[in-house]
Amino acid sequence: MTTQTMPSGADGSPLAGEKLTPKYIRRSLLALSIDDPQLAQKAFASWADAVILDAAKRPDRNWQEDLKARMPAAIHAAARGGAEVFVRIERDTAVAELDATIFAGLSGVVLKGATGPDDVVTVSRRLSALEVARGIAGGSLEIDVEVNTPGAVWHSLEIARASPRFGVFLINEAELCRNLGMQASPTLDFDPLEYIKSQLITVATSVGGQALGMSYPLSLTEENANDDAVAKAVRRARDTGFKGAVCPHASWIKFCNEGFRPSSEEAAYYVKVIEVFAEGIKRGMASVPIDGKMIDVPVDVRAKLYLKWANRAQERDDEKARAHAKPGA
Amino acid sequence: MNPRRSWMIVPAHDPDAVARCQEHKPDVVVLDLEYSVPPKSKEAARAGLADAVKKLGEAQVDAFVRVERDTRWADVRAAMHRGLKGIVFPGPDAPEEVSDLGNHIAAMEKERGLDPGIVELVLMLESAKGFWNAAAIAQASPRVTALGVGRIDLTMQLGPLPQDEFRLYRFLMTRTLVAARMLGQQPLGALWRPGSRGGEATKAGTAKAAREARLMGFTGCVCATAEQVAPVNEGFAPA
Repeated sequence: MTTQTMPSGADGSPLAGEKLTPKYIRRSLLALSIDDPQLAQKAFASWADAVILDAAKRPDRNWQEDLKARMPAAIHAAARGGAEVFVRIERDTAVAELDATIFAGLSGVVLKGATGPDDVVTVSRRLSALEVARGIAGGSLEIDVEVNTPGAVWHSLEIARASPRFGVFLINEAELCRNLGMQASPTLDFDPLEYIKSQLITVATSVGGQALGMSYPLSLTEENANDDAVAKAVRRARDTGFKGAVCPHASWIKFCNEGFRPSSEEAAYYVKVIEVFAEGIKRGMASVPIDGKMIDVPVDVRAKLYLKWANRAQERDDEKARAHAKPGA
Repeated sequence: MNPRRSWMIVPAHDPDAVARCQEHKPDVVVLDLEYSVPPKSKEAARAGLADAVKKLGEAQVDAFVRVERDTRWADVRAAMHRGLKGIVFPGPDAPEEVSDLGNHIAAMEKERGLDPGIVELVLMLESAKGFWNAAAIAQASPRVTALGVGRIDLTMQLGPLPQDEFRLYRFLMTRTLVAARMLGQQPLGALWRPGSRGGEATKAGTAKAAREARLMGFTGCVCATAEQVAPVNEGFAPA
């Protein structure tokens, strides 16, 4: 699919509500261990928009020195297919882990286990110091919060506002269920986390960020379901407000990349909407019909926003394609 | 300690009901000074608490007293006797109400020669304000051990007809659950459905309400009638 061109009449000036388009095109995230001998190959072959590196602290050696020695190469390996790279850190050992894992090439960290805004402030301060010490642009490293505690849910707004580095809420449903005393099996005819998801999506969006998650019940079963089931689940997740998901199976990634964005058919329709509406405006009309539907200003604005979203997703795909085509990639 | 699954409401003015309540094997007996007691019987209910609490305490039963929000000071005074496990406070709206009541309980513990801090406080949220402030309210006294979703008053305040689907209920249950789990308190509530709610809930409806609540993370609920105790115990039993 190629990038859809904005039709004439759209002057490129900022649209009302433009910030409503997703801040990041981060539809699919894949977690990989830096100990995985196949790290580079898996990251490359996955086509994930982002890779989360898990760095195990080996008790049999000086784990900080060990990680410091290995992280730069791991970041490079994970990024080879054009993915953004994050490192996952635990709240209780956050500062020590940051010292051992923050190097150029990372987009940010995934903070797990946070229970309140102080945890984010602590990480943010350390990142500022490390950016200076390691030649990384000041303020560039992002803090994404993996929600797995009741405290992170209750204090989500304070957490999201705790640092301008905040980017994304990721929902670790299995652990969150366990910490809420919920049965992490989809035996109910409704999603027991429905309102928590609604809250996190709304809060993240309110500060200009976004939330990542999957729809029920696949969000809890995390099964390697058939293609149709994954595609439908992704569509439901997008309709809920999620902008991507962490993929427990590499097989999900293709569907997340295709589903967490307006489709090519949608994009083509938006182009038509924008063109027909612009023609109507020239003729002095306030609304024009397309296929029996009336197109007016809000529909036109939405079409422009969604087209922009679709184009940005396409640009991201093109970026990854270039990374894959690099000599020696 | 096993979670207290069934919190059986027993009208405190009814000596027969109090005498027989243990037959139903509730995990907790809640001697009620609120809705199940007619206003004209309120004094008699208060007067009977000393004896009822003492007997239940001697029988190793977890005995609580549910006070009425507007008369809670006098109700707590009447309830504070050796053997009392705790006070159920329905409808707290603000943290100060809980800390003030906690201080009142502390004063009564001293006056009655009870161990300091021994009497627990259980909060049943029943107002929009209460739900929104749930965490602050539940943290307002170290005595708070459980946080619950209230029933009748809640539907009255938020508007839906109690006989219909109360569509806000799962949202309110989620908010209660998150606050309670964050604070290490017991979450109380059941997913009551239309036609099987309150005193009208059938055994099957009660068991389903409890089972679904358990799947959602709750570990116990209030039983409006004696018949609800067995299905609640069953519904909240681990799978």
